[in-house]
Amino acid sequence: MTDTPTDRPEGPADGRSDGRTEGPTDLRTDGPTEGPTDRRTDRPTDRPTDRPTAGRTEGPINRPTPAPAPVPAPALEATALGKRFGRRGRRALQDCTFHLPAGRVCAVVGHNGAGKSTLLALAAGLLAPSEGTVTVLGTTPAAARARVGYVAQDKPLYPQLSVAETLRMGADLNPGRWDEVTADRIVAAGDLDPRARIRSLSGGQRTRVALALALGKRPELLLLDEPMADLDPLARHQLMGTLMAQAAQYGTTIVMSSHVVAELEDSCDHLLLMGGGRVRLAGEIDELTAGHTRVAVTADTDLAPHTVVESRTTGRQLSALIRPAGPLPHEWRTGTPTLEELVLSYLRNPEAPGLAPVPDRAEEAAA
Amino acid sequence: MTPSTAPDLQAAPPLTASDPQAAVTRPHMVRWLLRLHRPALGAWAGLVTVLGAAFLALRGPLADAATQGWREYNACSIETPSCSYDQDAILLYKDLYNYSTLALAALPFLLAAWAGAALVGREMESGTARLAWTQAVPPTRWLAAKLAVPAAAITAGASLLFVLHRMAWTAGRGRIDTAKNWHDVWTFHANGPTTVALALCGLAAGALAGVSLRRTLPALVVGVLSTAVLWGAAQWAMPYLWPARTSVNPLVEGYPGGGIEVDSGLVTAGGAHIADPGCGPLAVNGCPEVYERLHATGFYTTYHPMSQYWPLQLTTTALVLALTGLLVAAAFLVLRRATGTARTGTTGTTGATGATGTTGTTGTTGTDIASTDIASTDTSGTDTAGTARIGTEVTA
Repeated sequence: MTDTPTDRPEGPADGRSDGRTEGPTDLRTDGPTEGPTDRRTDRPTDRPTDRPTAGRTEGPINRPTPAPAPVPAPALEATALGKRFGRRGRRALQDCTFHLPAGRVCAVVGHNGAGKSTLLALAAGLLAPSEGTVTVLGTTPAAARARVGYVAQDKPLYPQLSVAETLRMGADLNPGRWDEVTADRIVAAGDLDPRARIRSLSGGQRTRVALALALGKRPELLLLDEPMADLDPLARHQLMGTLMAQAAQYGTTIVMSSHVVAELEDSCDHLLLMGGGRVRLAGEIDELTAGHTRVAVTADTDLAPHTVVESRTTGRQLSALIRPAGPLPHEWRTGTPTLEELVLSYLRNPEAPGLAPVPDRAEEAAA
Repeated sequence: MTPSTAPDLQAAPPLTASDPQAAVTRPHMVRWLLRLHRPALGAWAGLVTVLGAAFLALRGPLADAATQGWREYNACSIETPSCSYDQDAILLYKDLYNYSTLALAALPFLLAAWAGAALVGREMESGTARLAWTQAVPPTRWLAAKLAVPAAAITAGASLLFVLHRMAWTAGRGRIDTAKNWHDVWTFHANGPTTVALALCGLAAGALAGVSLRRTLPALVVGVLSTAVLWGAAQWAMPYLWPARTSVNPLVEGYPGGGIEVDSGLVTAGGAHIADPGCGPLAVNGCPEVYERLHATGFYTTYHPMSQYWPLQLTTTALVLALTGLLVAAAFLVLRRATGTARTGTTGTTGATGATGTTGTTGTTGTDIASTDIASTDTSGTDTAGTARIGTEVTA
């Protein structure tokens, strides 16, 4: 709808798609979006159902062609995005700018009330932004609706319907996309009786049905708000496995918010750290952890000019998490932080300077 | 898509196989809604059946029995002190008629409560509306289907009921002494299409309350209350929607008329209409002097005779349907504003987004299109109204 996504494919690769290392990820970035990106220009919402197949099948074929290498539209892109509830109400989200390439598995972390749910609801086209724009799969959230899956935090389902009827709802409302086999498989793995009413299910079982409904749609972008919160460890592990298999097989981009940082480390390759309604940290997890250093120095060391995220003095020792501004002195003891250390440092220090991406519009325009 | 992709079809066989259909298949909204609201549909079918059966009984056997009862009763006189008549038949007819007519009259309120609570409010509150909107169904289309499917069922059922009620009423007229007049408030509506219009209005009021309040109980209460207000407004406006007739009687004969009264009072010697001081008939002591002093020569009544039943019914129906249209449009507006369907219009080119909005909703039924159109026309209407108001404020 806006001009940005249609401009992007013409420009050369902006380097973002190169940062990937895994095999399947490579496939999926180009796959889902390459073919249809051009067509999206003239028919943004027309026949939304035929796009994914076209993309997936055309992708590999187009790859060797020397013609201007089309860059896939980002799965999710926000520019100065803000949401205020009520005219004078609380700002749940402000000035959010970030960019999530297609095919990533992105973790959204932050305190309660950091704006995670609002961000996901905006991306799912359930809320209208108060300011700024959010672009989903190269178009507006409303136009991308058929290609986006969403599971809300409280996993709403119709209590009066049975499990089978709930899945039939998915089939009825997602014509042409519905993957009955996948949905049935996810439900069956939880030992659920298809005839059981939703109201008779436990919280974890409902999560399973909600995920089956979202995955059965075979979305290109899957937005999950605290998806695993009420699952037991086994089910959590199993459903996470299903999710990742789905992502690998179909190139699904997954965005999930979670409080359990440890479990994100294995499955996610992108991070969006939020606080106070703003994006504080956004980027590839590898790059983020590589861009930070744990240092242990004597207490009187001046850490400038490096950016200090967190520092703690214990006796004569100063341990800190910093973003080095240049090479560090050799005598400093350094280490690469884990994702959990990184996230916790930022969460503990709400005042720590963020590292949100600068809007790269100028860069694109120049290129 | 293009022949060059053929070798890759094997890459994703399941999707490709279903893809040719994908272009033509549309969301099965009706099937889904019927499954979702099966209990409500069953209740509605049950209500229509019970009331329909009651009206048929009132038309046939019960009317006959009550007529017989009244004939026996009227034959009783001082000469036949030990006469007997079938009082039970008379009372049964009267009770059943009154209760079933009231049930039909209460329909708009019942539907407003249901639409506010179960159809929309509960979905907004529990988040299941969002569940539907994150399938391939945009919020406006969701609302369109949520209104269109019940509206179709209501129109069919309520139309059948008012026709049956009219048959029952006609069968009792002139035969049963306690039969209601045509202008009895409940009978007036139950005998004609205003029943259908008011029921649809209740549905729309409930839906608007549900969409705006987003909670079950408040939506139920506000839906019912606003329906009551709209019902009162329609009832108040009804006599003025069609020219009434004025009859004048000499003072001796008292007030003329019989029907839906609009106005009444005294006629003076000069022909002017003045207010009745409330003295009463000429026979009352002192009243002739009062009327003398006012130079009154007769009583007048402005009223609608029975011959104006259909014009009144049809104009009221049109008025209520227009109000219903406004409510529906407001519901769409509220939903669009909340979910950002309108927002895309402001960020992109408004016209283009509007157009894609309609084409994007593949498989719009006729009713859907109709309601969406109402919504869009109203947007412009509200806008002009808004601009007009600003204009007046400035000039003032």
